[in-house]
Amino acid sequence: MKFLNITTLWQKLVSPWRPESNREAGSGIVANFLLHWFPNRISVRSLAFSASFYLGTITFVILLALTVTGVVLMFLYVPSVERAYWSIKDLDHAVSFGWLLRRLHRISAHLMVALVFLHMFRVFLTGSYKAGEIVRSARPFNWVLGVTLLVLTLLLSFTGYLLPWDQLAFWAITVGTNIAAAVPVVGEKTRQFLLGGTVIGQPTLIRFYVLHCALLPLALFAVAAWHMWRIRKDGGLAIVEQDRQEALVRKPAEPKKSKTYSVLGIASGTTVQVNDPTTLNEDNSVPSTPFLTIRILVVSLLTLAISIGLSLVVRAPLEAAANPEVTPNPAKAPWYFLGLQEMVGYSALMGGVIIPTVVVLGLMLIPFLDREQKGIGIWFTDGPGRRWAAFGVLYGLVTTCGCLAIALLAPMRDIFPTIESQFFFDLVNPATFLLLLFAGMYFLVLKKTSSTRYAAIATFCAFIVAFVLLTYTGTALRGPNWDFFWPWQAWPSHPMAL
Amino acid sequence: MASTDTTNGAVQISTGGDSVQTRRGFLGRLTGAVVALGALVASWPLLRSLVPNVLYEPPKRFRIGTPESFQEGVTFLEEHRIFLFRESSSFHAISGVCTHLGCTVKFSPFMTPQEETVRQLTYRALGEFQCPCHGSKFRGEGTNFAGPAPRPLMCFQVELSPATGELVVDTATEVARDFRLVV
Repeated sequence: MKFLNITTLWQKLVSPWRPESNREAGSGIVANFLLHWFPNRISVRSLAFSASFYLGTITFVILLALTVTGVVLMFLYVPSVERAYWSIKDLDHAVSFGWLLRRLHRISAHLMVALVFLHMFRVFLTGSYKAGEIVRSARPFNWVLGVTLLVLTLLLSFTGYLLPWDQLAFWAITVGTNIAAAVPVVGEKTRQFLLGGTVIGQPTLIRFYVLHCALLPLALFAVAAWHMWRIRKDGGLAIVEQDRQEALVRKPAEPKKSKTYSVLGIASGTTVQVNDPTTLNEDNSVPSTPFLTIRILVVSLLTLAISIGLSLVVRAPLEAAANPEVTPNPAKAPWYFLGLQEMVGYSALMGGVIIPTVVVLGLMLIPFLDREQKGIGIWFTDGPGRRWAAFGVLYGLVTTCGCLAIALLAPMRDIFPTIESQFFFDLVNPATFLLLLFAGMYFLVLKKTSSTRYAAIATFCAFIVAFVLLTYTGTALRGPNWDFFWPWQAWPSHPMAL
Repeated sequence: MASTDTTNGAVQISTGGDSVQTRRGFLGRLTGAVVALGALVASWPLLRSLVPNVLYEPPKRFRIGTPESFQEGVTFLEEHRIFLFRESSSFHAISGVCTHLGCTVKFSPFMTPQEETVRQLTYRALGEFQCPCHGSKFRGEGTNFAGPAPRPLMCFQVELSPATGELVVDTATEVARDFRLVV
């Protein structure tokens, strides 16, 4: 029988599909529902791993993994204060593969937060938020959508953090929601609206559950779809601007035969010759199938393999059931908020409200502050860009370490022992110093180079360093009573406390 | 003078001034306003329903036991997050909720109690409070002296129930830090 023909079967298994014409490759994209969001042809430059590290793709694959595991977990989780903790215990011990689902969902959530940050770093450092001069694209707006996605990802992760209803969850949410209360005037009302009462309880759990499982995922998917649709509308990755530049200076080639059809009554014969001025041509682009699709497939499979592999070795912690009467010592927020918690340790208003607001607004405004159009898609723009990046890293290192040293060695209350006004300490503290130092650097570099791009690069690199250092300090160097411990110092095992 | 714009099918009315109003433009703005008003009206019950009118939370005023049942010194009432201090026949209660971000503070006792004057109040200090979340510290009578805590710990009203002779703590009523109930 024919299907037993081993050779044909083997060929079908091992040899990838090789379209015989551009037309066949194109209809491979257009005719397939799953592939229709890819362009017909793709720039060779944007396929390069170093252009994007495929971070956006990886983030989306992780989001899909989170959705699939999350839906299954919804069947197994009960959002009530009596049952929530025990349904998580059941996942770990009584449900077949429950431990795997929970670990995969948790590790993917952490990975997604990290990946969204890395993706943002990549887009910034390659200048991919710029509109471009040849075709004014809406990439600045897409950057704003991206920052919105970052905020939504953090909110999703934060709301999911409460659901296990253990000590870790309960106190991270206590600290997190009390930060909202630090907002002047409307703070306490906002906190009570989030909690659905005056203390964390059943109304809080159901609120966070619905936000985590319905409202925030819907918003995230809607904005993510918009984000990806915009990439197509803007002509692909920003490095395509380089192709556009080249197309602009390219000499009009000899007219070549590119379309063959009958043009009755307009031209004689059955052939017209067209000079193809478009950005993508035979030399600088390839059909999306199979060149892009096979890469995305490989990246997706690797992403899934790595996250499943990680969830086999990294345990999902579950502490004692939530107990409002006992605060664990130290009590810490999720890792990506520990940089903030470190600054909240100086002032709740400055570290918890003002700085996050300034950072999110500042991030959103980047493409509108920096409107220079050179080096789009190229890492650090050019040579001076690389030097200013190095300067920013060094500056961030020195200033952040300096502010940490002030916080540890000379707390403001020791320097000004006679001042009792809380407002004074909300304004004068290491977090404020850091904010002012970074803002000052932006304007100094801007003045020295007259380039918004170099100023932005230096400030952004300093911001990355500060974020990493503060997060590391909050995670690894803070022990019981939020005291400072070097990595080689052991934490006291029996704290002197009632 | 009214003139008809045949290409759009809209009637253009010259008002004589600089602004040119079209019926289509006016209707468009009217539609926008009605939609916005409708969305506002519709969102009010949606959001208002999420602000609770009845709270099923533990009462703010509760009995904690007879005065004799408490030891000399400090007792932490876990359930209510309150530190109850007893000096022979005098009682007072300090909140265990850190005024920074709401963690439960820990009481760290001194080796020996010592006389202390904090903000013109001289008292016998048994120890100090420490918060595990951001390292705030409070004196034995509640005054914050280190870390980010913005205010002193709250002191609550303590009464004696005439009916049962038990101590009653009212966490809805804040009192001065020199408040003492003498039984």
